[in-house]
Parts: sequence; structure tokens; C-alpha cells
Amino acid sequence: MSYWTAFILTLFSPVIGGFIYGLERIVRARMQGRVGPPLLQPFYDFFKLMDKRSIIIHSFHAFMGIMYLIGTWFALFVLLSGGDLLIAIFFHVLSLAFLVVGGFSVRSPYSVIGAMRELLHMVAYEPLYVLSAAALYLVTGTFQVSGILHSKHVPLIYLPLFFTAVLFSLPAILKKSPFDTAEAHQEIIGGPEIEYSGKFYEAVYTAKWIEYVYAFFFIFLFAGGNHILGALLIIFAFFFFNLLDNVTARVNFRQMVAFHWYILIPLAVINLMLIALWRS
Amino acid sequence: MDFKKFRKRSPWILHYNTGSCNGCDIEILACLAPKYDVERFGILNRGNPKQSDILLVTGPVTKRAKERLLRLYFEMPEPKVVVAVGACACSGGVFRHMYNVENGVDKVIPVDVYVPGCAARPEAIIDGIVRALEILKEKGKEVELPHWCSAQVKPPVNRVKLLDRCLEELHGRR
Repeated sequence: MSYWTAFILTLFSPVIGGFIYGLERIVRARMQGRVGPPLLQPFYDFFKLMDKRSIIIHSFHAFMGIMYLIGTWFALFVLLSGGDLLIAIFFHVLSLAFLVVGGFSVRSPYSVIGAMRELLHMVAYEPLYVLSAAALYLVTGTFQVSGILHSKHVPLIYLPLFFTAVLFSLPAILKKSPFDTAEAHQEIIGGPEIEYSGKFYEAVYTAKWIEYVYAFFFIFLFAGGNHILGALLIIFAFFFFNLLDNVTARVNFRQMVAFHWYILIPLAVINLMLIALWRS
Repeated sequence: MDFKKFRKRSPWILHYNTGSCNGCDIEILACLAPKYDVERFGILNRGNPKQSDILLVTGPVTKRAKERLLRLYFEMPEPKVVVAVGACACSGGVFRHMYNVENGVDKVIPVDVYVPGCAARPEAIIDGIVRALEILKEKGKEVELPHWCSAQVKPPVNRVKLLDRCLEELHGRR
């Protein structure tokens, strides 16, 4: 993919993410026996928030909200322009760090608790993403996304356990049940995003849409050069994580970190070791 | 671009119980459940004053609740509307003229729509919200104060100071 196509695609990624989020709200409603909102609902929310008065706690807090958006956007650009997988992961971590710092900078206890839990989210799922970058390197021989997307191998065949692990940590990165402790809407009302309002909440809201695109692009990478399989994987992952979101209750942060570190990461490491042994 | 028409497409709700018997609250939650499903109209129960447009208040406003109600009202960014749900919130209901209540929400904050009923039926609540959306569409973005508050709003708006001023007056009233 050329640099300019990637740039334009990144520019329109909030639109793509908004449609994914709108579809997710409909699918979730249908699974609960409801009709659900229209497909364009996230965009209605977006335009409504444009018109709201913004209440600023202090300028640094508002700035961190905007940096979260820019950081996520840049991480997605690195992925889409065929850049280094590790750099994309690094920028994603950085953008979440902005959100966490913003969450810690206000006095609202919910915001601080949410920021702490956000850090625990990162502790839980980030090792898995770094390991999956290493695994994709072992299979395709490159860390470059463009290289992985043009590779002759299909990483899914070599990394089935890895794919399962990433699939189960998808709720953690997108903050859906059962791993939605960071923005538990019933207990801490959104966690680090609680104090944002108006245009600044809009930035955080849009960043969450971009994270959808980011997370599903990671799933897409597991199909390597076979792009039709990649699209199928994305559709499967979408319905799977919606089902998981609807049928499970929220676990606490200990259970979340334990599940990632005792079950998902060992699964991934076993897969990694087997592939390394088989290669040698 | 005119963003005003999107206001009635995605109203987010903040629900506050000022000492109600929970009858009206259950009916509000029934609106969100599969049978009435107000998410069809983009209505979400946010529970966060900073991100909501409609304040649904139930209950006769007890002495302890009035300060919290005023705080929540001040934390909501404009444009916003207030809907009083149920007989108690409209006029005090069976608690009217008791020593510990304020006789309705409109004694503390300005109310735009009154939804009667004990408890208010979900159909009536949806009707009230639809009426509130028409009012929300016409509202401006300037800071709103309770009618009894004498504070002046000057351009760099400091909500904390305004709230302190109003609270002082609220406690000095009786």
C-alpha cells in the first residue's frame, strides 16, 4: 500500500470505526432481544457532542484527552502504512499512557481508580501483543506490516493457540465485558474518561472508534497474504467478542490479570516455543 | 453545519433519585429494557452528568438531596433539560408539606417537563422525553441558573464559584 493511500485510509479510520461501533450496538441489541439504535447512531452522538458546551477541569487534562486521540491515530497510521509492528504497539501503549496520566491528573476518585485499572489492562494484554509481533516475525520473517501482508505463509496455520489468545484478549483491549474493569459503566462510570465533556469527550470517544480499527487490523494480520481469510477472521472475531460481551459478567482486576498471565500468555508461549523448535 | 438537529437524535440521560420510593425509578429502567427499548432513539443512560443532556429526576427532593441535585445540575453542560418524573417530583405528591421535603423539583432547579403519575407509566415517561427533546432543540448554550439564584454570569464562566454562590443562597433560604 502506498504512503498516500495509507494516509487517506487513516484519515477516514474514525468513519470506519464509527460504523463498526454502530454495527456492534445493533448486534448487541439484537442479541438481547431489542431493536437497537440506527447504524449511524455513533455519528449522531459525535455531532451532538460538537454542539455541547465543554467544561474544562484544567487545560492539561483536556490536552491529554486530545493526545490520546492523536496517539491512537498515529499508531493506526504506522500499521496501515506498512510500518514496524513493534512501533505501532509502542505508540498504542503511549496513547493509553496519555489517557492514564489525564485520569490521574484530576481529583475525581472514579477517574483515578479508572486510570489505575487502565494500567492493569495494559499489564494484562500488552505482553500478548508484543509476543504476537515476535510470533508473526518467526512465521513471516519480518516485523514490517507490509511484509506480513504480502507473505506467502498464513500465520493462522502456524499460530492457532496464539490466535485464540489474542481473540480472548480482544475484550480487554476494547474494554468490553468480561474485561471492562477500566471503564465499568455501572461502578466507576467510564473510569478515566469520566471528567471529559463536550468536545474533549468527543476526542476520547473517537479514539475508542480508532481502537476498534487498530484491534481488528491485528486480527487481520493473522491471515498474512490471504486477505479474504483475513476478512473472514475479522467477521468471526466481531461476532465472537459481541457474544462474549453479552454472555459474561465483569470479572475483577485480579481475575483479569490472572487470566491473561496464567492462561493466555502460557498458551502463546507454548505456541511460540513449538514453532521455534519446528523451525530449527 | 447545523448541529442542532442532532440533539434530538442522541439524548443521553442522567437519572437521579431524590428520595423517591423507587417506583418511578423502576419504570425509568423499564423504558431501557427490551420491551420499550428507548435505545432505538439513541437514548442512553450515561449516569455521568458531564456527558448527559437530560436530567430525569424522581422523588420529592428531601433536605439531604437538594444540595446534591443542585450540584448535579451545575455539572451538566448546556444545552440541558430537566424532566420531573412522577407525582412527587412534580409537586411533592403524598409527601407534600412534610417537614423534610422541598415540595417538588422545581423549588430547587428549573424544570422543563412534568411527567405525572404514581408511578409514572413508561409510555408517559417516553412521551415526556419526546416533549423534552423539542425543548432541548430550541435551547441556547448560555449558562443556566436556578430562578431563585441572584448570581451574575460573566464570560469566563467559573462553575465552581457559581455553584458556591448558589449553595450559599440555597442554605440561607430557610
